[in-house]
Amino acid sequence: MKDVMDKIKARDPYEKEFQQAVEEVLESIKPVLDKNPQYRHANILERIIEPERIIMFRVPWMDDRGKIKVNRGFRIEMNSAIGPYKGGLRFHPSVNLSILKFLAFEQVYKNALTTLPMGGGKGGSDFDPKGKSDNEVMRFCQSFMSELFHHIGPNTDIPAGDIGVGAREIGFLFGMYKKLAKEFTGVLTGKSLNWGGSLIRPEATGYGSVYMAAEMLATKNKNLKNKICLVSGSGNVAQYTTEKILEFGGKVITLSDSSGYIFDEAGITREKLNYIMTLKNIRRGRIEEYIERYPEAVYTPVDPKLDFNPLWDHKADCAFPSATQNEINGKDAQNLINNGVFAVSEGANMPTTPDGVNLFIDHKLLYAPGKAANAGGVAVSGLEMAQNSMRISWPRKEVDNRLKHIMNSIHNSCLEAAEEYGTPGNYFNGANIAGFVKVVDAMLDQGVV
Amino acid sequence: MKTWKQKYDEIFKANYFEFSFKIFHELMARRVKEILLVSSPYDAFILEEDGRFAERIIHEYRGLNLSHPPKLTWASSPSEAFDFLLKDDFDLVITMPRFDDVNPYRFCAGIKRMYPKLPVYLLAHMSNIQLLENNYPAKDDCFDKKLIWSGNSDLLLALVKSEEDMMNVSWDTKRAKVRVIIFVEDSPKYLSSLLPLLYKEVVLQTQAVMEESLNEEDRLLRMRARPKILLAENYEDAVSLYTKYKPYLLGVISDVRFKKDQKLNDKAGLIFHKFIKKNTPDTPVLLLSSDDSNRAEAFKLNAFFLNKNSQNLHSGIHSFLINHLAFGSFIFNYPDGKIIAKASTLREMEKLIPSIPDEVFKYHAERNHISTWLTARSEIFLASLIRPVSWDDFVDISELKNFISFCIHMRRKGHQRVVIADFNIENFDPETDFIKMGTGSLGGKARGLAFASHLLDTNLHVREKFPKLNIRIPKTLVIATEYFDHFMEDNQLDDIIDAELADYEIINRFINGKLHANLKINLTAYLKQVKHPIAVRSSSLLEDALYQPSAGLYRTYMLPNNNHNFSIRHNNLSKAIKLVFASTYLNAAKQLAKTTLRRTEEEKMAVIIQEAIGNNYGDYFFPAISGVVKSYNFYPMSYMKPEEGIAHIALGFGKTVVSGETSLRFSPKYPQNLPHFSKIKDILKTSQRSFYAINMKHPDKHKIPHDREKGHDISEFMLSKLDIEDHKSVISLYTELRNIFSSYIAQDHKIVDYFSNKHHCILSFADILKHDSLPLPEILSELLVTGRKGMGTPIEIEFVVNYIQSDDKSAKVQPEFLLLQIRPMSLQSFNSNVIISEEDIRKAFCYSTMSMGNGIIENIKNIVYVKKSSFDSSHTLTIADEITKINRNLTGQNIEYLLIGPGRWGSADRWLGIPVEWSDISGTRAIIESRNKNINAEPSQGSHFFHNLCSLGIPYLTIPPERKSDSFLDETWLEKQKAESETEFIKHIKLKSPLTIKANGKRAKAIILK
Repeated sequence: MKDVMDKIKARDPYEKEFQQAVEEVLESIKPVLDKNPQYRHANILERIIEPERIIMFRVPWMDDRGKIKVNRGFRIEMNSAIGPYKGGLRFHPSVNLSILKFLAFEQVYKNALTTLPMGGGKGGSDFDPKGKSDNEVMRFCQSFMSELFHHIGPNTDIPAGDIGVGAREIGFLFGMYKKLAKEFTGVLTGKSLNWGGSLIRPEATGYGSVYMAAEMLATKNKNLKNKICLVSGSGNVAQYTTEKILEFGGKVITLSDSSGYIFDEAGITREKLNYIMTLKNIRRGRIEEYIERYPEAVYTPVDPKLDFNPLWDHKADCAFPSATQNEINGKDAQNLINNGVFAVSEGANMPTTPDGVNLFIDHKLLYAPGKAANAGGVAVSGLEMAQNSMRISWPRKEVDNRLKHIMNSIHNSCLEAAEEYGTPGNYFNGANIAGFVKVVDAMLDQGVV
Repeated sequence: MKTWKQKYDEIFKANYFEFSFKIFHELMARRVKEILLVSSPYDAFILEEDGRFAERIIHEYRGLNLSHPPKLTWASSPSEAFDFLLKDDFDLVITMPRFDDVNPYRFCAGIKRMYPKLPVYLLAHMSNIQLLENNYPAKDDCFDKKLIWSGNSDLLLALVKSEEDMMNVSWDTKRAKVRVIIFVEDSPKYLSSLLPLLYKEVVLQTQAVMEESLNEEDRLLRMRARPKILLAENYEDAVSLYTKYKPYLLGVISDVRFKKDQKLNDKAGLIFHKFIKKNTPDTPVLLLSSDDSNRAEAFKLNAFFLNKNSQNLHSGIHSFLINHLAFGSFIFNYPDGKIIAKASTLREMEKLIPSIPDEVFKYHAERNHISTWLTARSEIFLASLIRPVSWDDFVDISELKNFISFCIHMRRKGHQRVVIADFNIENFDPETDFIKMGTGSLGGKARGLAFASHLLDTNLHVREKFPKLNIRIPKTLVIATEYFDHFMEDNQLDDIIDAELADYEIINRFINGKLHANLKINLTAYLKQVKHPIAVRSSSLLEDALYQPSAGLYRTYMLPNNNHNFSIRHNNLSKAIKLVFASTYLNAAKQLAKTTLRRTEEEKMAVIIQEAIGNNYGDYFFPAISGVVKSYNFYPMSYMKPEEGIAHIALGFGKTVVSGETSLRFSPKYPQNLPHFSKIKDILKTSQRSFYAINMKHPDKHKIPHDREKGHDISEFMLSKLDIEDHKSVISLYTELRNIFSSYIAQDHKIVDYFSNKHHCILSFADILKHDSLPLPEILSELLVTGRKGMGTPIEIEFVVNYIQSDDKSAKVQPEFLLLQIRPMSLQSFNSNVIISEEDIRKAFCYSTMSMGNGIIENIKNIVYVKKSSFDSSHTLTIADEITKINRNLTGQNIEYLLIGPGRWGSADRWLGIPVEWSDISGTRAIIESRNKNINAEPSQGSHFFHNLCSLGIPYLTIPPERKSDSFLDETWLEKQKAESETEFIKHIKLKSPLTIKANGKRAKAIILK
């Protein structure tokens, strides 16, 4: 493993971000490598760290003043062992080769974990959409696609959105692709619903996180019915997490935003959730306003002096951190354990600090790391591709069912991988390993290509 | 055939540039500025004794408010006079006849040889004019005029005016069709007595008949277009003047006996009269003669006649001017002379026209009576619109009537725009744009408003550029400070100035006071006609003036003014006025006065009562768009430049923008480039969600509340703060409101630029900013340039865009742009004195040539520094964590700090900078984005926290790579400082003395001095 790292450093000394990402992934799959000498024989590590293809191109465009600008475009086609390249496009001034290689590398295993047939890639440009007019963004997207279209296709490479690439940009990119390729195919995901997008996109992460928890509980012959749940955040993920928990008969007693959290012992009902959805999505008010409407609830503002988050210090069964990174530290993790929480499903990205994660694992909590629990978003992207290929739009229920099914698969592959590599019930290890194994096994099957 | 309206538009356009108001500034361009008076000391002494010559001239000028009285230079002898003539330029020489050494005729001839065009007048005493005429032959007579001094200083004024009239007549008649009166008189004696009389009459009559809504200053300006008096001394000159100025001739006043063919002719006046009648039979002629035998002959010729020696000469001339030179009322009569109606003002004329029988109207129209009448009133533009049309240009007489009446109406509106009219209880016209009630000052805000109006009227290109948009100021009534003085005195409130009273006590005393009786009566007259919602605002003497940050300190009350009970409306208005008066002495105002070294006792309050701008939308009244635009943008992004300015707009009343609530920020130059609207998340976060409106539904409940405990909070009751989402159903009914919204489609996480009932509405103003439905950005850019030129300093402008709703529901609503206020950019946002000297740069530990923000911050002692020595881009998450902790600790103690660290602050990408959220660094007062070779990111210029930086005025200093600029950050100094606390990556430094942070937004430069 050290040899591989040294090679990377020697070959691309300036790609610090990529080096770091590779190091982290290799660290997490060490037990796999130890157990599978065939991977070494096939020199699999060196093969996975080298992108299958890198495309770099000039993107000239004209701004509103008639001045010509030039940006650099990229597409890293990292790995197509289990399916066509799939991964976002990022438009941001920070974009460079190292960053995109790092993101593409992570994407390969994220996609594999969904159990869907998707390879990994990433692309983008150092173009900054901030402060640009719609017309400038359109001209840029068209120029970008006029080169990229040579390299992508519904069976080759299916980019999606990422930072700086939203519905507007996807629309402009797709329009240009369609014109140049003379075909209307699902070459991009994240499209608007009325021309090829999928339902359940906003709900996917929240629903997925709850499905993951339900699957974990099922392994202990439990379910969410009457379970008291702590949910943090009040954005999309937290809202749809709450919605799904309610659907499963659970009881959500907390929600939060950056100013503080509410504790509603009686439980957040469907009606109360509707109020929160209006408050946060439409009025964009503070969660504090909840207690004006429901005075029986208690609001606790953020106390900068505390070294723990009191939201996690309530008697409960399950926790769904759905707000932000590092929102559960060691002390919070201990509080959760002390309060009887036995399942944690991470809707947010890396919400638990490493010492917190260790505590969960040591205390044998049903702990689904974000990598697995919040894969719902990626999963629905895959479902969008499937619908496009079939020229069909599934109804909500259908998409939701398939999402549930995918989460079930993710759960099972994590569980199995954990079991196989000697840490039964450790979803954290399972998630790290499952995706990797799937990819490298496919590579072995397909020979040296 | 064109309709009368088309005809109007056509003629208006053709004449507008020619006859717009600014034309008055071009008239009487040439002035008598320097007069050389040559007289012996004795004559000078006599003159002084008789009339104190110089003083009288100046006095007369001041009396008439003429701005530049001529300067009088006295020479005691001809030789001294020549010395002066050599040294200075003179416009007129007046000489007295008696000198020891030189006779005046030779002296005059001498001057004429050197300065042939310089007019020289002889001014003699009655006793020696004969002497002059006897002793000197006519051939030497080169004086332009000879006059008799009888101690009447009006003569001097008349001489100056006469000279000026001759200087300007050619241009002024051509330019503005100014009218002329020809006066033929050769006798120095009669000339000296009649000329002043004629001038006095013409001036007084012109003033008397000018439109009643004009103010004094405007009248004086328009006096430049008064009829000119052209003087002729013989038949040939008279005929020549007649021939040249016939199209502009108002009338002729002529002596009977004067020279014709070089010889005195006893009947010259009669011959001249016949000549005129042959050419222009309608020209009124008044014959003057000291020989009464001419009366019969004049009568035969149908001329008017007056005896020069008559005791009634003055009144005779007076009545001739009024009755025959169109200075009186306009009399509508049948051709047989039967009078049917009289109009003495434009307003009366406009009202009367529809009722005049067609036959009568045609009779007057054919003879240009109306345009003549208008011309005498200095209504040059109006006359020029009417004169060229003939009744047969129209389908029928009623079309012609409509046309003329419309012309008058538009002209009246035009007048009202231009001037501050005095409130006239009898003639109050609610359409008047700017009226003043009482004497005294208008106060700062009203002055600003008057200036705004002036700006629009003197910069016609602004309106011309946007012809589809009515650009104006709101109809405004100002109660001048006189009534504030009365109020203070009548209610014995003077002790309040020094008393230590709580706000509510002050308010109580003011509420219990009584307004002056005249004011109450005036307000009654006002409210009888004004039934739309009104804003009652303060306009203190010092407000908005002198860069004082008192804007917004005093009160504004919005009254629905729609109660069916008149006395409630009156009481509410009176109360609002008293509350505005009271605000002068509320504690916040007093406090500010102390800090700005103003004396509260010097403060006086005028009150602005203004048409509230907006429409009834459901139960509420509000404008579609209100906003503020400023000359400088201290947070320019992309290719924006600071001097291109920045605008903020919002739905509803401008309180949203002025009080710094969420509104939309854009560069008028690049309205489509909205840095804080680049991401959906940001749009959702930063778009406006509530707005201010007047509740119109329950007028009875909208008495101005009088809260004893919360006297200072009263204004809060007046505007309702409404949630946009709650009023979506009303918004959806009005196209103009729907159009400024976009919709958020949650399923696709996208924003579409149309209003949809199904989705969340987002106030984006996209229809205007992106789709050019209204040239708002262009207007704002134009006004910033024009306003800045006008005020001579960077400015800020408050404005409103309103859509005029028509009763015809199918008709398209018409937008109008209202300029509410223009003032120098305030101190809070613009400190013009942020000077960064070379010395500063040398002493500084940080200097950036790529900074944002403007101002000086001098109270920061704490620095949170990401150590260069230990920085590692793979640990940015840990660093973010450490910063969050320090921020918590410092904000807990209310300590603000300077934040210094490498890379893009707030980047979502941990490899490019430290991935903090705003809440993690909420205590920062200034930020430095430094360089570090371990991090590879282009400068962000604070783009992640753009909205927070702008709204909190936080300077953001970027230190670009060395090769790109001479910016620097002395990190060695920072590393050397003792740490208050220190972690692996962060150092918290607490300095003994505060730092000075200077940011010059105009130049994008900033420094930090230790």
